[in-house]
This record gives sequence, structure tokens and C-alpha cells, in this order.
Amino acid sequence: MICFAAVTRVRVSFEKVGKRFDTRTVLAQLSGAVEPGRVLVVAGPNGSGKSTLLNILAGVIRPSRGEVRYRQNEEDIPRARWFAHLGVAAPDMAVYDELTAVENLMFFARLRGLEARPDSIGALLEELGLGAREHGRHVGTYSSGMKQRVKLAQAVIHEPAVLLLDEPSSNLDTAGHDAVARLVDRFRSRAAVAVATNDPREMAWSDARIELAL
Amino acid sequence: MRASSLLSESLAVLGKELTSELRSRVALNAVGLFALTTLIAVAYQIGPYKIEEADRPHLLSALLWIILFFGATSGLARVFVKEEDARTAKTLRLAARPLAVFFGKLGFNLILLLGLESLVVPLYCALMSYTVEGVAGLVLVMACGAVAMAASSTMVAAIIARASGSGTLFAILTVPLALPLLVVLIQGTKAAATSAALAAVIPALRAIVSLAGVTLVAAVYLFPVVWHD
Repeated sequence: MICFAAVTRVRVSFEKVGKRFDTRTVLAQLSGAVEPGRVLVVAGPNGSGKSTLLNILAGVIRPSRGEVRYRQNEEDIPRARWFAHLGVAAPDMAVYDELTAVENLMFFARLRGLEARPDSIGALLEELGLGAREHGRHVGTYSSGMKQRVKLAQAVIHEPAVLLLDEPSSNLDTAGHDAVARLVDRFRSRAAVAVATNDPREMAWSDARIELAL
Repeated sequence: MRASSLLSESLAVLGKELTSELRSRVALNAVGLFALTTLIAVAYQIGPYKIEEADRPHLLSALLWIILFFGATSGLARVFVKEEDARTAKTLRLAARPLAVFFGKLGFNLILLLGLESLVVPLYCALMSYTVEGVAGLVLVMACGAVAMAASSTMVAAIIARASGSGTLFAILTVPLALPLLVVLIQGTKAAATSAALAAVIPALRAIVSLAGVTLVAAVYLFPVVWHD
């Protein structure tokens, strides 16, 4: 059994956030929040800065201006502890091709201090539509849709308080999209969720929306 | 939330590195092929008899470390570049503490270097008729040298991976870190070759351990910045 931590409620707020890459401004003066119990959808055309905003919220890139705050029970979360609360799945992320799906998730669970067993990991993979027959194969032999399912599983294996999903249904078939929708629904009540997307089906998950423009 | 210890996380990273490497064999092939090719080229062109007896201890010690250094460099530099290339770096960055990543990767590079030394040193001694008076001293120099070289290579590998994987940058950064280390390693190896007394290698060992210590302390402070920023 995976030993989940008690549910924590974390709020991510951003104030007048901007990002420049060399001379190009990608984001300018953007404010908002990812609230517990709500799904924030970030929409906009390609190149409008959806992924950049999620990367800034995740803390993997620094904004050129403005501030991002991570707060739990009205107290700031230090950066060193922030990643423990966070789950991310994005197109610029991958899991290890040389490992099986179960080995990948065992690895990420161990890094996060969880006591994960193959059967509980198998249950999570099946929830995302990856059948037991596939669990023992190296991820390198998977299709892009199957890899996406493993990537989503690593994002939620520790039941994060904040879940950031960038194009979560990319490469997935209808069944895969439905599995992601169920996953988002499960996290809606217990976590703060942000989804960057242009897919109208994913936009329908929103409780709040940010529209970015070029 | 985070109940795991740094040791447990580091061992998880090390285990992942070993499993991945045993299945892909990219670094093993690169290191093994480079080291054996260099060793055979040296043995073929120079051999055991083309060096004057008086010059043998220091020339053969220098040649041994040149073979080990270039063999190791071909594999050690890849530990972080492969994460960036495979797009697993961000996944790892979000899940693991920076120091767990550093110590896991350092452990992998250390195992790779010790394996390389175990393969190359006996072959080199046989092919070059390189007699070592102080075997215990040589083992100590090799072991401490591997720790120091693995520490500096792992740190430099992290820097170049964040600088878009530039091999040239690896070379430029490695020179000031590797050169003093190589000098004392050659001195220590020469001392072990000429004297059976362990005391003969102590001055070189002190220098090697000091360099390893300085590199490790610097890495503990610098690596989290390099890894995250």
C-alpha cells in the first residue's frame, strides 16, 4: 500500500508575473491563483506562454518580474519543501525508457519517501488505463500514449497538494482522455489543479480560466 | 510529507543509474572501448622495452593515468547530459533533493571508475611489464583517486548539462580541476611503484584526499544552485 500523507491544502498565487526570453516577452503582468478544490485552466494559442506560466508556477524557471507565493495554512512554504507538495506532467518531461513502468514509479515513490508496492503501483497504472500486461515492459518499447499514462502516474503517485498538467491528454485516445478526466475529478476536491490546454474537452474541466494571447 | 533520508534517496538514484546502465550499456561501452583502445595503442607503440629503466616508474605512471583519465572522461561526462537529452532531468529535478541526485550520480561514476581501474591496471601491468613494489599503496592511490576524479567529473558534468551539453565546456572546466589531481595521482602511483613502504605514498594521498574533500565540499554548496537555476 502506498502510504499517502494527510491531505494538505496549498494555494499558489502569482502577482504581476512576467517572463522575457532575450528580447521576446512571453508573459506580462499576469496575476491569479491556483486554489485548493478548484481547477484553473490556462488557455491560449501556441507560443502564448501557457507552458512558461506552468513552469514558473512549478518553480523550475524564475519569472523575469513579479512574484509567486506558495502558501499552506497561511504560511509560506520554503522552496526546499515546495517540490514535495507538487505533481507535474508536461510535454518536456519524460520517464526512464530503460525501466519498466512499475520500476519507474517505484523509483519516483522512493525519492518521495513513499513505501510503494508493485501491486499498489499496478492499481494506479490501471486507473490510468495501462493494463497489467504492459507493466513489466520497458517504457522505451511503449507508444507515446502509454508513456503519457506513466508520466501522469508519476505526477500523482504522492497525492500532491498541487497538480500542474500541461496538455495532459496529448497522445491519448478517447479512453485515455476519459481516464485523465477521472483523475482531474479525483484531485479537484483534494488539491489545487492547473491545466494548460487548447483542447475544448479539457477546457470544460475549468472552475477558473486564464486566456493568454500572443 | 518527505520521510525519506538523503541516503535512501541517493541510493535510489544510484540504483536507477546502475539498472539503466546495465540495460543500455552506453557508458560501459564508451569507457571500456576508449580505455582498451588507448591501452593497446600505448602497449603496441611503446611496449615494455622502449623506455629506459631509470625512466620507467614516472613515465609508466603518467601513461597509466592518461589512459584512465581519457577512458573515464568519455563516460563520466554523460551522467547529466543523458538526463537532459532524454527529458528526464525535469522529472528528476521535481522529485529528488539536489544532493540526492549528486551523491547518486557520484556513486555511479565512482563505481564506473573503480571498474575501469580494475580492468585497466592489471592489463597495463601485464602489457607494459610495470612492476609495483607497494601494491597496498597503489590500491589506496587508485581508490582515493577514483573518489576525487568522480567528484570533480560529476560536478563538471552537471554544469555542462545545464549549458546545453557542450563537450568543449566539459574539457575547459575539467582542466583546472583535473590537472592538479592528475599530477598528484601520478606522483602517488610512481611512489607505490618504487617503494613497498606505505609511507611512500602518504604525501600524495594527503594531497589527493585534500583535493577530493575540497571538491566534495564545493559540490555540496554549488550543486543545488547548478541543478535548479
